[in-house]
Amino acid sequence: MTDSTMANFIGLSAVLTGFSAKILSPTLDPVDIKSEYLPFFTQAVTRESGNPDLVNTIFQTFASLKAQKLTDQQIGEAMLADSNGADFVIACRKLIFMWYAGAWPTLIPASDTAPANTVSDMISVKSYTTGLAWQVMQSHPMGDSNYRYGYWATAPAPLSDYTGNK
Amino acid sequence: MTANQEYDVVIVGSGIAGSIVAYQLGLQGKKVLILEAGQPVPVDRSGYMETFFKANAKTPESPYPPTVQNPSASTPDNPLGLPDPSQENVPRYTVLQIGPWRNPKQCYFTYSPQEPHLTGDSPRANFAFASSYERIGGGTTWHWLGTSLRLFPNDFELKTLYGQGVDWPGGKDFYQKLVPYYEKATNEIGVAGDKNAMDQLYAQFGVSPTGQYGSEYNYPMPGITESLVDQAYINSVTSITVDGNPVFVTPTPQGRNSLPGERRQCAGNTNCIPICPIQAKYDATVTLARALQTGNVDVWYRHVANNIRVDDSTAEITGIDYITYDTHGGIPTGSGTVSAKKYVLAAHAIETPKLLLMSNKNKNFPQGVANSSDQVGRNLMDHVMYLAWGLAKDPVFAYRGPLSTSGIESLRDGEFRKERSAYRIEIGNEGWQWAANDPFTTLADFVFGQNNSQLNGDSVNQQGQALRWDKNLPANSQLFGAQLVNTLNGIYTRQIRLGYLIEQLPDPENRVELSKTETDHLGLPRPKVTYRIQEDYVRNAFVSAKKVSTEIFNAIGATEYTKLPPAPVFYGTPAEVTATNFQYQGDNFTFYGAGHIVGTYRMGDTKEDSVLNARQQSWDHSNLFMVGSGVFPTVATGNPTLTIAALAFQAAEHILEDLKQVSA
Repeated sequence: MTDSTMANFIGLSAVLTGFSAKILSPTLDPVDIKSEYLPFFTQAVTRESGNPDLVNTIFQTFASLKAQKLTDQQIGEAMLADSNGADFVIACRKLIFMWYAGAWPTLIPASDTAPANTVSDMISVKSYTTGLAWQVMQSHPMGDSNYRYGYWATAPAPLSDYTGNK
Repeated sequence: MTANQEYDVVIVGSGIAGSIVAYQLGLQGKKVLILEAGQPVPVDRSGYMETFFKANAKTPESPYPPTVQNPSASTPDNPLGLPDPSQENVPRYTVLQIGPWRNPKQCYFTYSPQEPHLTGDSPRANFAFASSYERIGGGTTWHWLGTSLRLFPNDFELKTLYGQGVDWPGGKDFYQKLVPYYEKATNEIGVAGDKNAMDQLYAQFGVSPTGQYGSEYNYPMPGITESLVDQAYINSVTSITVDGNPVFVTPTPQGRNSLPGERRQCAGNTNCIPICPIQAKYDATVTLARALQTGNVDVWYRHVANNIRVDDSTAEITGIDYITYDTHGGIPTGSGTVSAKKYVLAAHAIETPKLLLMSNKNKNFPQGVANSSDQVGRNLMDHVMYLAWGLAKDPVFAYRGPLSTSGIESLRDGEFRKERSAYRIEIGNEGWQWAANDPFTTLADFVFGQNNSQLNGDSVNQQGQALRWDKNLPANSQLFGAQLVNTLNGIYTRQIRLGYLIEQLPDPENRVELSKTETDHLGLPRPKVTYRIQEDYVRNAFVSAKKVSTEIFNAIGATEYTKLPPAPVFYGTPAEVTATNFQYQGDNFTFYGAGHIVGTYRMGDTKEDSVLNARQQSWDHSNLFMVGSGVFPTVATGNPTLTIAALAFQAAEHILEDLKQVSA
């Protein structure tokens, strides 16, 4: 893994999740979930797509879009465009899910009796507690509160404090 | 392990009931041995927490051994990797087994087959039992919610007052005798409660705060702060009445610390079920530790009681046999028998009747111990639950605080109890976590363009309202970035959930028997369960709950998202049949379990229709007592644990009285 690979991984993750890179990869990062996610993401996408170049293609595509000084919205739309191919797009979408849920998703297509749905495997103890889903609801992971007694009677800090995007 | 010690009392089970009895006897210098089938109480709970964090399905049992799911064993017909109960030494029923209830390779219980030609609304339909329990040191209070309500005096006279079910032995007198023990239970658990709120509630039902509460009535800790979710209901629901009763919100007395003390102050982990990470919530390991500290109580873990011996001439219990093991799937490592003057069964309402029924080798008791009435295992009950969920009009910041801090208790009694079951309504703080497996379902919907939450498609609720979260977005939107953040935030912070705890009636056909075909890894028969909701009386409460939910959501300006369950399927492959779905009055319903397993060795006034007398003593064997919710004649209208605890304190006094007679 090179520094630029990690930089692209974090940059892309920030664009797609809507969370600041400072939240995903803080300067002081004792939890360091990114170092768990990048190899996990790389292996899972490579395995599922059967394409050993796909992850690199995704990061290079992101890097070239970033170099064009586009907005996050424009970069995200370009990354998720159908023209990138189905494997490329679903990998980017699974990246979003991974950051939010701390789990790796499997999509179950619709059947005669059930609509399309998603099941997922928790990646690790740490991934559960760092899931962004808990931050986007301005709360804490269930079972891992860092708040004090009675906090639930008053409104939380603004959403922007949790996402890092003012 | 050898038993050199002479014991006064042997107790089977180290949950709240067994631990309270052990503690009370140990304080009086009695020598007590607890046989616990499961693993020891861990030194700290970090191992349980790690198992919970890593679990894919965060069910009530998910932190506890033996593991209830193993992703590496996943197969197409067993996607969660449920263990085979025949390969476990102490299997138990888990909520993950409700779906595959007809598959004994995945489900610990076996079930009666359906009768032929049932229709969707047939009262004779069998269902999966919907509640679970633990077999570990400390028992099922590891994952209780903490709700510590007393039952009402009228709960003890359902038959006399309303012509339904049965009375408790002695009726209201039973309640009156229980009052001092309710106080002991409240103190042992360390309940945080708001006395003024309870006074107001009790006044509605004509219960006097003087006398009928007890002279010392109060709570050892101030009430737990109500949540912002509660605030959304408090002022708005009072416009509603239900069958003549006013609707108002009451803060729930709870077994969790509102102040620092012997245990930590609640930090609002929103995880009381399955596990409080900081033990701010009381659990029975607290009382078990107190019992052990008396110096008079021993506990033997991984000792599975498998037979009760009876003297052929006196009918007294003479010993309890056990089997030992080291690992969950390992071979038995030994066996033995322990004897004492008195015996107490405290193995909860499935394993206790199973043990009694397994003990069928005694000459004069071929139907099992304590079972001359043929009542052992019968009258299995739960609070059958109706769930309703919705989105508040403004953020209420769900997923914060204890799982529930308030409820609607004002509908628990009234003349309507002649026509339909009563219920209390629990107000959930956990968004749609229980109702819809959120945050994960809504997340997947907006990342992958699905619509299982009903928020991202063309879903319409049962009142005809369109449910798409953002009318400006197309159906099955796939979002990213700021739009995803704002969408998820808007939804999660508004999620609300109501749970109705509906009083099920005692039905002798609802029962625990021994499976004739399935065993566990020790070779012991597994429970065979028959479970129906036969009475219109109970089903009428589902109709009421559904209607009242809609009225409440309308009153607070919320949009209802309660999903209409699919129609029941009673015949087909194990994968095709439904587990808890039924039809009634043309509507589809599903029920959930409250975790309140009740009634399988009930007390009563006569030995013909009950297992125990009002002292919780076997009619058949005078030195055998039983404690826990299995003794309840009815499930009543409050969560059972405080009453279980009170009854355990009372039973301990009866046992002490009898031990005095032995020594005299």
